[in-house]
Amino acid sequence: MLAISNLVTEFASVKALNGVSFQAKPGLITTVIGANGAGKSTLLRTISGLERASSGSIKWFDQELTHKSVESIVRSGIAQVPEGHAVISQLSVGENIELGGLFRKRIARGDLAIATKEVYELFPILYERRNEAAGSLSGGERQMLAISRALVSRPKLLLLDEPSLGLAPLISAQIISIVNDLCRATGLTVLLVEQNANTALAVADHGILLALGKVVADLPAKEMIADSSLRAAYLGY
Amino acid sequence: MTSFLTAFFSGTAQGAIYALVSLGLVLVWRGAGIVNFAQMGQAMFTTYIASQLIQHSYSYWSAFVIALISGAALGALVDLGLMRPLTSRKNSQLLNSQSMRTTIPVIASLGILGVLKALAGIFWAGEERGFPSPVAPNAIKIGSTNLAITGFDLFVIGVVFLTLVLTTIFFTKTGMGLAMRASALNPEVTRLSGIKVGSVRTLGWAISGTASSLAGLLVTPRTNLSPNTLDLLLIVGFTAAVVGGLTSLAGSVLGGFILGYVISFVNVYSAPENVFIAILIFLLLALFIRPQGILGSKEVRRV
Ligand SMILES: Nc1ncnc2c1ncn2[C@@H]1O[C@H](COP(=O)(O)OP(=O)(O)O)[C@@H](O)[C@H]1O
Ligand SMILES: [Mg+2]
Repeated sequence: MLAISNLVTEFASVKALNGVSFQAKPGLITTVIGANGAGKSTLLRTISGLERASSGSIKWFDQELTHKSVESIVRSGIAQVPEGHAVISQLSVGENIELGGLFRKRIARGDLAIATKEVYELFPILYERRNEAAGSLSGGERQMLAISRALVSRPKLLLLDEPSLGLAPLISAQIISIVNDLCRATGLTVLLVEQNANTALAVADHGILLALGKVVADLPAKEMIADSSLRAAYLGY
Repeated sequence: MTSFLTAFFSGTAQGAIYALVSLGLVLVWRGAGIVNFAQMGQAMFTTYIASQLIQHSYSYWSAFVIALISGAALGALVDLGLMRPLTSRKNSQLLNSQSMRTTIPVIASLGILGVLKALAGIFWAGEERGFPSPVAPNAIKIGSTNLAITGFDLFVIGVVFLTLVLTTIFFTKTGMGLAMRASALNPEVTRLSGIKVGSVRTLGWAISGTASSLAGLLVTPRTNLSPNTLDLLLIVGFTAAVVGGLTSLAGSVLGGFILGYVISFVNVYSAPENVFIAILIFLLLALFIRPQGILGSKEVRRV
């Protein structure tokens, strides 16, 4: 269980997160939606330790994460796929995937090989292009690669920052459905951030609506989809 | 023809040394975004250590190995003791502006250079001394004809060739090599992969320290050793790194060899006093024709 309470993250004088509290249940998909600048990326970056919280707490089961380093958070099973299809374009596709599992090379070599094989089965196109530079991939393939890099670390919690940003609707639906299948098949906990609420809420169990660094709605996903006035007020559609 | 061959072989041997210096600079630049002006000061210091050991009747090779290890340790120490604390988040007010962020490490590295020179003055009275080589610097003979290459040149070329092969294997075939490349290219994605980017950077400083220490050991049999003899090497190595593209390890090595040939041919066909002007003209030409360097990438993205 991921339990966030009264989380505040500041940049200079801007409170990007201004007292955020919610919970994400294990094995389920929790979707966080919100307009541009609402604080969605800051939320994920604070969970994974890239930004420091000024107050509040982030608990993953019984571990407090707010004072841990990024590396130790990742090593405890929390993987983030950052905004903007973040892969290392100068490295090959295979090297990007290898990078994601590098820290497990000594402790779980056998399982790493299995995890690598699994992501290649999930995204066969990446296997075909494993020796090419990641920079030569299309946007959708890059997102697949970014997700694969996270998956080979065998995360228990997967943080996805706007995976459908800039992708054709068909491709983004395909990627979100793969994440959905993965969650249902393996019990992976997913925290999915999106601006585009429809596809992301459709697969979600629970929805969080974020506006100006605050949680303004915390509902089962079905109810959030149904509540058109909520979306009209905060997302403008 | 003989003078051409002489220039070629001595250019290769000198270029090999410049390649090491340039490689050392690029390793730190890629990893930490810092031009380490103390690099050849570190090399001077470790070469003095080797020289001291040899005077105390250690063998050449044990002194050689100890100097390389000291080079690694000194490189790591510069990072851990100074550069990392200076550029850490805790100093964020100081580092708010981009210009301060780039200036402070430069000043710090100049400071280290000064300290190392002062220490060399204290420990070894700043004296100029010779430094031995395991191979005689005479031309190799076949029968009674002198070849254009000396045994020492061959030794230098061999050692550097071996070093470059090992470096290439390290960077392309090992996990740690991948972690180093990834950290330099995109520290954030690398940290999100669970890799301790700070430690990886320190390792980069250590490898850079080893490479420059090796350069010091290989160049001083020809130039002698004093607190200032290696300063020139930094300038040539830096030019080689810029010509090679600053961000590319292969480019830095290539740049080193190109500079070796330029300097050697100017020496043989013109006059030694023209070498500096030639380096300058070459640098300007290279920057005009290919500002990103021979193997550098067009977009220089450093965050
Ligand atoms: N590194 C930063 N420095 C200063 N302000 C930032 C930084 N990152 C985000 N912000 C500010 O924090 C707020 C939330 O940003 P962000 O979390 O990126 O929103 P979202 O991902 O929902 O679009 C915005 O007002 C943004 O300008
Ligand atoms: Mg965002």
